[in-house]
Amino acid sequence: MIDAASPGAWEKLVFDSSYNEFKMQAQLYNQGNRQKSFAEMLLNNPQAEKLHFLVSTSVTGYIQQLNGKIPGVLDNLGRHFLQFSQYRFEIINSDINNKAAHQVAINFFSEPMCWHDSINDFLLVSDVAATVTEESILTNLVQLQPFLSVSSIKEN
Amino acid sequence: MEQSRKQFLKKFLIGAASAPVILQACKKDDLSGTSGSGSGSGSGSGSGTCTVAPTETAGPFPTITPSSLVRSDIRDDRTGVPLTMNITIKNTNNNCAVLAGAIVDVWHCDKDGYYSEYGGTAMQSVNYTGVHFLRGRQTTDANGLVSFTTIFPGWYSGRATHIHVHIYNSAGTSLKITQIAFPEGANNATVLVNASTANGYTKGMTGYTYNASDNIFSDDTAGVQLATISGSVSAGYVLTHIINVPG
Repeated sequence: MIDAASPGAWEKLVFDSSYNEFKMQAQLYNQGNRQKSFAEMLLNNPQAEKLHFLVSTSVTGYIQQLNGKIPGVLDNLGRHFLQFSQYRFEIINSDINNKAAHQVAINFFSEPMCWHDSINDFLLVSDVAATVTEESILTNLVQLQPFLSVSSIKEN
Repeated sequence: MEQSRKQFLKKFLIGAASAPVILQACKKDDLSGTSGSGSGSGSGSGSGTCTVAPTETAGPFPTITPSSLVRSDIRDDRTGVPLTMNITIKNTNNNCAVLAGAIVDVWHCDKDGYYSEYGGTAMQSVNYTGVHFLRGRQTTDANGLVSFTTIFPGWYSGRATHIHVHIYNSAGTSLKITQIAFPEGANNATVLVNASTANGYTKGMTGYTYNASDNIFSDDTAGVQLATISGSVSAGYVLTHIINVPG
């Protein structure tokens, strides 16, 4: 989640850019700026739900700058190892008169992984695409942590 | 382990929010019998509370990037009869002089009548490349002009062919939200394009809503919202239109 208190340079750019875009695009569903907050706009005009998508246009450039690597999740050796091509951008809160109320979330969805085992609160995983040989397979250990979740599962 | 692992294989996806997450503690794990995790760049598995430091170079170094809407070629992967849109913005608060520096958003449906948007469920994720097809933003030049390279829009039930336009002043304040209508008549561009199966248009004009029956355009008897279209299916079309706004 990204808000006014987010420390990183990337997060600050996403915050500024998405807030400016929100103020512009919100006028589509809020002519005359009668409503101030995103919640009020949704209540007044369910079409305002489209703002999630419309405002996401302001951050796609920043998402591309990540080069397909999910930020924030490191393996137990401290490396970014999760690749993504899918993401979902959401406006949590916003207010056309109060930038401090602006909060957005970006969920990244990794490519499919194989889960091999759980060791305490660590998951032993590998890329599905990784070549499986009889001898060995490259794996990563990642700790279960806040904001990390399994979004879908398929048994082989 | 090698054999049992294969019986164990389960595919799954990991989703993660973007907030930086710090590993809270490194713990001594029982790794016996696992295949280990490759490159030995110093796996500091201490037993106290400490944080695993990234072994990678710092980065990415973010640079300021305009909205992905800012572009003149708005086609992405959408195919169809080529259409060049030239829209001039004029200022009703200045004797209809051209308005430079205005921000113009355009969006329209593809040849099959679909817009780029999130799907039905709020939980749907999207690929981060090319999900904003047929949407674009330009700033008017000294002549009040913006140009877009796109495809001739198709149509969908209940609406005449149209292009959405949202005009802002340079500060981003909305000046006008409007739509552009297409001319009708014998062998007009809309009829010819929608008959062009060679270009992927499949609907023809059966069930089409004409401007006179359209909820948005039916009251525009003076044709203020009507664009001028020239060209041909083979060479592509050029749309020319003037929009007056209180700038």
